[in-house]
Amino acid sequence: MDPALRAAATGMAAQQTRVEVIANNLANVNTPGFKRSRAHFEDLLYQMAQGASAVGGPSVTTLPAIQVGRGTRLAAVQRIETQGPIEQTGRPLDLAIEGAGYFQVQLPNGMTAYTRDGSFMISDQGTLVTHGGYAVLPGVEVPPDAMSITISRSGVVTVEAAGATEPIEIGRIELARFANPSGLLALGENLFAETPASGPAITGFPQEEGFGRIVQGSLEASNVEIVQEMVDMIAALRAYEINSKAVKASEDMAEITNGMVR
Amino acid sequence: MNTLPLRYAAQALYYWERRQEVLANNLANAETDGFKGMRVFARLMEGALLAPDAATDFRQGALTPTGQPLDLAIEGDGFFVVQTARGERLSRGGSLRLDEAGRLVDGSGRVLLGERGPIVVPPGTVEVDRDGVVRVDGTEVGRLRIERLPEGAEPVRDEGTLFVPAAERIRVPEGERRVRQGFIERSNVNPLDGLVEMITVQRNYAAIERSIRVLDGVLERISNDIGRVS
Repeated sequence: MDPALRAAATGMAAQQTRVEVIANNLANVNTPGFKRSRAHFEDLLYQMAQGASAVGGPSVTTLPAIQVGRGTRLAAVQRIETQGPIEQTGRPLDLAIEGAGYFQVQLPNGMTAYTRDGSFMISDQGTLVTHGGYAVLPGVEVPPDAMSITISRSGVVTVEAAGATEPIEIGRIELARFANPSGLLALGENLFAETPASGPAITGFPQEEGFGRIVQGSLEASNVEIVQEMVDMIAALRAYEINSKAVKASEDMAEITNGMVR
Repeated sequence: MNTLPLRYAAQALYYWERRQEVLANNLANAETDGFKGMRVFARLMEGALLAPDAATDFRQGALTPTGQPLDLAIEGDGFFVVQTARGERLSRGGSLRLDEAGRLVDGSGRVLLGERGPIVVPPGTVEVDRDGVVRVDGTEVGRLRIERLPEGAEPVRDEGTLFVPAAERIRVPEGERRVRQGFIERSNVNPLDGLVEMITVQRNYAAIERSIRVLDGVLERISNDIGRVS
């Protein structure tokens, strides 16, 4: 009964991991640009419980081969890169991407990180930075006499300066996209890094081929849906329970076997 | 002394044990994408001896939309082919990704095979049509191998939700292929059915155990009481 016991135990462990992933999704239900994750599992090695063998007797018959599996294991935790709802904030430096693409951010170590969280600010040097203080690439410098800032759907940043009659173009937001966005490595702080799995970054301007558009004064909310997560949590809990029942049943059967000898 | 009934009973216990083991594996994989449950049934050997036999339940698992371009599932018959260290294996798909070389690999890094070897995906928007043709920004970059298991024979399983293919390739012809991009096939195990079956297994196991006790009692009487002159 040991294989059954262990297979059921792997099932319990898998469901526990699933609940951990769901808990992280739920914790980030209000994180701008957050993408929910899903745990993926695969089955374990199979063992021949009985080979195709001959049973003795007048007419020799073969016993069919049976493969018994050893349970399940975590294969991957994958981010689900669907569009989150665009929520209006009215703040001119809140930018949401509707469609594919990531903002590019310069990390202090020189690396480029990517984010969907467009709650930007202007630093003391007048550059556009994330709320974590990282510079947005390519650098956009806002002149100190700027009265208001406008960012078009295609990413063109213009300011209205005091005294000037025409708005002045000061830069353009560039986006990056990936063949497999789920393969990006999460760095925390809503930032992601390129990995071999995601493929190299392809940069371009918003509204160009394959890129989404910029929505000013809005943020992309988390794509976590509480109802979906709750349903998944119930499913995980039930699956955990059923696997624990399998542990119990296997144990009961072992007990029965032990009780056979008086 | 006739101990044949005891042998039959022991064989029956063995049968229910196998059934519990397979059931536990099914339940452990109730949330494993692309998993196909197994069913154990009894076969009478020589008219009396109970032997367990198993068959894979190839029913379609539920297709869940994910919207991910590299999530691939097959509706109906057929498998993708992946390369493993132990040779080629058949897979029902799942969440794919790209490896360092830009090749299409499955969640555990096994390379997916196309008609002309691994499929290298250049940057761009990936589209996979129902015949398994992979296009990036409209340009064909490869054609996935979609194959079948031989009919009749019970397939051999391998870890990683994989099956061992037949020696000869059995291609699924174009037109019969139904590859679904942006979908994941869930496990086809129904945990409720499993739970009910588990109760059946346990009750039957206990019943056989009782009959062994009875048989043991009878044999005890035969050995100790018959022929005794009190």
